[in-house]
Amino acid sequence: MTRREPAWRVTARELESSLEEEKGVGDRAASYLISPFGARMNRVLVAGTLSPAEPIGREEAQTFWRARLSDPTGAVAVTAGSFQPRAMAQLRTGTQSRSAIVVGKVHLYRDRSGVGYVSVRAEGVRTVSEVDERSALADIVRQTLDRLDLLERVEKGPPLDDAAARADGVPLAWVRAARESLRRYPQVDRAAFRRELRGAARRVGGDLAPEPSPTGPPPTVTVVRAPPPRPAPPPPTAEEREEEAVFLDLMDEVAEVSADGYADLKELLARVGARGLVAERAEATLNRLEEEGVVEEPIVGKLRRA
Amino acid sequence: MRLRDLARAGGPVEFVARIVTAERREVTRKSDGSRRALLSGLLSDGTASVRFTWWDPPREEIERGTVLRVAGAEIGEFRGRPEITISWRTRVAPASPAELPRLASSDLPSKTVRELTPPDEGFRVEVRVVRIGPRTVTVGAERRLVFDGLVADRSGAIALSAWSDFGLQEGESVRVTGGYVRGFRGRPQLVLDERTTVERIAGEDLPAPAEWLRSTPRTIAAVEDEGGGAVVAVEGLVVGLLPPSGIVYRCPTCHRSLTNGICRVHGPVDGQADLRARIVLDDGTGSLTVNANRADTERLWGVTLDQCRSRLRELGDPGVLEQQLFESLLGRRLRVRGSGTKDDFGVTITPDSIEPVDIDLTAAAQELLGRFPEVRP
Repeated sequence: MTRREPAWRVTARELESSLEEEKGVGDRAASYLISPFGARMNRVLVAGTLSPAEPIGREEAQTFWRARLSDPTGAVAVTAGSFQPRAMAQLRTGTQSRSAIVVGKVHLYRDRSGVGYVSVRAEGVRTVSEVDERSALADIVRQTLDRLDLLERVEKGPPLDDAAARADGVPLAWVRAARESLRRYPQVDRAAFRRELRGAARRVGGDLAPEPSPTGPPPTVTVVRAPPPRPAPPPPTAEEREEEAVFLDLMDEVAEVSADGYADLKELLARVGARGLVAERAEATLNRLEEEGVVEEPIVGKLRRA
Repeated sequence: MRLRDLARAGGPVEFVARIVTAERREVTRKSDGSRRALLSGLLSDGTASVRFTWWDPPREEIERGTVLRVAGAEIGEFRGRPEITISWRTRVAPASPAELPRLASSDLPSKTVRELTPPDEGFRVEVRVVRIGPRTVTVGAERRLVFDGLVADRSGAIALSAWSDFGLQEGESVRVTGGYVRGFRGRPQLVLDERTTVERIAGEDLPAPAEWLRSTPRTIAAVEDEGGGAVVAVEGLVVGLLPPSGIVYRCPTCHRSLTNGICRVHGPVDGQADLRARIVLDDGTGSLTVNANRADTERLWGVTLDQCRSRLRELGDPGVLEQQLFESLLGRRLRVRGSGTKDDFGVTITPDSIEPVDIDLTAAAQELLGRFPEVRP
């Protein structure tokens, strides 16, 4: 049975702090991004101020658009390509910043130093009134607090079985997410994150002023990032990094619609070519990604993420 | 004897029962290749249904609903359930329905709504009528009046279909004896036929209809977990729209939606335009599909079917209309009540009501700020 993935209500900060992935096993299995705060998400719903979108890539016909969505806790990139025509049309319409709700799939890109960048590949973008934005933010803050409370309970309380969770109205998927979250991020400062959420709660009531902080600079969440597995090769130029990002995005798109889940190399190179990346550069990018262990080629001519 | 007590009977038995289903076929003898006729199906006397096999039945048609007196039938067992074999040693004669065992409610075990699953029969249940209304159905060439509704006790609610007029009124409490449960559109349904008895009771401990109809929304995760239900109330945001949504064309005979002008039952037909929205509603814990009909779609969208058709004449592409509908619905907060069924694609709600919801942001902010331990003045 293919259950539709729910849209987890998360803040930009929680997305920024998420660095752990759970790859689906088998045909068309969903992948999940695990956050330190009890979310195990494939699809998310975020709300905030959306910047005007800008195109990535050179060719008009094959373009990919990216905007930034900011909420009181942080900001996250929102992208849409030709595989999300509805969302792309909606992302492109705004010429200035506006209140918006975005529903989409989370996507983690990890650069060679092991630093992860999370973006939301939009399925739907809606410009909303400021009131509707705050109302969506209310859900986000409430459910985030619920998940933080659940983390405490799972960590410190007596074992939580399915019957007990059901009786308390706690979704079983949340219990699973909480366990996974605790396992993957044993040392996260959840209290600091909770303090950051307070600003978002004030925003629900219409308060735009920054949170008063009597005790020095505002707290930030520190997440222990996985160290790079090997000595770093010479750092890539910004241009190379951009090429890698385009390459990976296109590879995911090709893989997403292919029957076997792999990205066909020829098709991918044709698309990368259409974005203005010449063949040698594309090959070099691929070699670099394979060397870094980001991409693998288990069958000749068929690529997937490692 | 009663069919309910069959399992305990050792030798040949005598009983009166009605034929519920019957199918005639022939088997070939291995020894000499000759053919032998048999009739098999279900017999019921209101206390239980039992499979039967009738070797060499009479040539004339034996109609469903016929009541028979059977003496000297053999009792076997198949997969733990008793089975009846009627052979040349058995005497079978027509009987009157009056000879069927009288079902006194005290004879039958009492069940709660939650315990009712198809194909239960031979029970009594005490329920409150939450909703009831007449409907005309066509059975073969005959038109019949049935009464559809919803009944509930403290354990749950179940759809009801009464094939006789018991004069049921909304809000009254009744003891139903001798009904049966069948699966209808993926949900259990309590069926009352002419042999069912309905007694009015005080029902002080049964829930008021309002408790069921105005129950507060539950999480979509819980609704998914339980596989829907006869009464479901949820609240969430619209996150998607599934095809077919927007303008659809329906078969004028059966109202199925057409694919390229072809009905899958009636072939190429002149389709009638209709408006619908298959809304994906999500509350962060789960998601489900809400099938909105024309009236709901027009109200939520603010565009009527006629306006749609004139837009379509201008635009020429129904896909653009669907996009406009999607843009108008995405992110809207809706409270939906109705009945939910679950299949491989998740829960689908057939709504009784769809209402847009506004939340009180000041109260929400206060409640949320109260959840931070380090509240400062």
